[in-house]
Amino acid sequence: MQAIIAKDLIAVRRSKAVVIPMLAVPALLMIIMPLFIGLAARGPTNPDIGRLLSTMPGDLARPILELPAREQLIVLVNGYLLAPLFLIVPLMVSAVLAADAFAGEKERKTLESLLHLPVQDRELFYAKLLTAFIPAIAVSWIGFLCFCLVANGVAWPVMHRVFVPTRLWLVMIFWVAPAVATFGLAVMVRISARAKTSQEANQLGGAVILPLIFLAVGQSSGLLLVPLPVAAMVGGLIWLVALWLVRGGAKRFTRDQLAARV
Amino acid sequence: MTAAVETQDLTRSFSSGIALDGLTLEVPPGEVLALLGPNGAGKTTTVRLLNGILRPDRGRATVLGLDPAVEGNALRRRTGVLTEHAGLDERLTARENLVLTGRMRGLDRAWVERRTDDLLERFGMADRARIPVQGTSTGQRKRLALARALLHDPEVLFLDEPTSGLDPAATRDVIDLIGSLATEHGRTIILATHFLGEAGRLADRMAVLHRGVLHAFGRPTEIAAGLWQGVDAELDLGGPADAATADALRATPGVLVVADAPTGLVVRVTDREVVPHLVRRLVEGGVPVYGAAAKPPTLEDVYFAVEARIAATEGRATTPTSADLLSAPVGAST
Repeated sequence: MQAIIAKDLIAVRRSKAVVIPMLAVPALLMIIMPLFIGLAARGPTNPDIGRLLSTMPGDLARPILELPAREQLIVLVNGYLLAPLFLIVPLMVSAVLAADAFAGEKERKTLESLLHLPVQDRELFYAKLLTAFIPAIAVSWIGFLCFCLVANGVAWPVMHRVFVPTRLWLVMIFWVAPAVATFGLAVMVRISARAKTSQEANQLGGAVILPLIFLAVGQSSGLLLVPLPVAAMVGGLIWLVALWLVRGGAKRFTRDQLAARV
Repeated sequence: MTAAVETQDLTRSFSSGIALDGLTLEVPPGEVLALLGPNGAGKTTTVRLLNGILRPDRGRATVLGLDPAVEGNALRRRTGVLTEHAGLDERLTARENLVLTGRMRGLDRAWVERRTDDLLERFGMADRARIPVQGTSTGQRKRLALARALLHDPEVLFLDEPTSGLDPAATRDVIDLIGSLATEHGRTIILATHFLGEAGRLADRMAVLHRGVLHAFGRPTEIAAGLWQGVDAELDLGGPADAATADALRATPGVLVVADAPTGLVVRVTDREVVPHLVRRLVEGGVPVYGAAAKPPTLEDVYFAVEARIAATEGRATTPTSADLLSAPVGAST
């Protein structure tokens, strides 16, 4: 199984069409955006976000309104509004790679050679799942580290303290985000096994992944406001569903089904 | 001796229809079997069933004493498959494709690297080893895929359309390679193809599949004996024979069929002992004979005769071949 993952990761690394968007989008969202927000807050003219905050739910607005005016923009954007991105990025990366898992092999006409390897059906399924999961989590965690360094570094003259990550952020990044990514890729790998091309898998998978993304966008900022045990429990629930889907997928997955579609 | 490959009533269908219907055959170790038939005959399905990639709906198979449907992994460690599409990852180099396949097969890294270098050298790919497969020709890919199929020194080698998409020179290269593999270590080879030339050169026995049904199985001479009587002989008369010469031969005892050939005549006789009599009769009649040789039926002759019989059964017309003419009733061929 390790050898299949290693081979797939080398192949993914060589594919510019996959690597560039996989790195460019997170770099834009996790590095460039916090950098500009921090620079804007450091400027001589302090943007007035009072009107924006007044339209937001009280629970979210209250702790920000209690902060000095110069800190409000940084904490609002870098502390709360960018939070959904840390769920979207692993979901997006894992979905793209999972869509390619079997459909891409069919497209490149390499699937049959793969099926002729002396590897158990279940190992093959998990190898493909991990090939999508590992880069997604790596991009997400490395992106988060960069985000913390950039957000705190650029905002230091204003904040004079480290404001991200909070304990809730850590729960979201290391517990909830991997669960959401697993959920998405469990669905996508199953779709990929049925689709003829990666494009078809992406189109079919989009119907499943897009609502998930909207849900993530809608709920993740809120997740940063709930008590820590609640956030951990939400993550736990997502893990349960995701692992149930993975287990079901592995049980149903057979070479025969795939070979019959080659 | 235990058969290397044995199938009994092996059957598999898909949503599009039945792909293989009751295949029963036996291949002894060290033999080259040609699985012949047009597209959709069931050749690839057979290869997949024999490697445990597909499961049969009915019947059973054993390969090297293992049941592919039950012991697929153990079996795939001992078989090698060259699929119709080379199936190489174009993003990887030639060497990486082989080394990583070896690793995925669970082979020792150092051993795989040594074996890869040996195979690349043997298959004339050493100078392309570090180039991504994307930049190699179709022929080079086939050679590379063949090297990959041999990486773990399989006891049974399955070759599915090994020369499809190749130009004549690359085809000859690949056939030469397969020919040398067939003589190594008593390796059993199952060659699924619709190119009769390569099958004729390499195969000991042939199995003709048509729409999933096995229509003929055995050595070409054995199958021919069931299709037509007698032995064929070519008579080189230095050019096409006239009607009187053909009629004279037709009237000779022991002659079954007489057919025209560009350099003279092809005759079917009850026994090869009849041939010297024919030569004497021609020479005595003033017809020069430059050569006379018994012509054992080729795999191609037999294949087309089987296809013609299938077409006749199904009420289809086919383009007549020399074998068709020779298997036609006496008197109809000239």
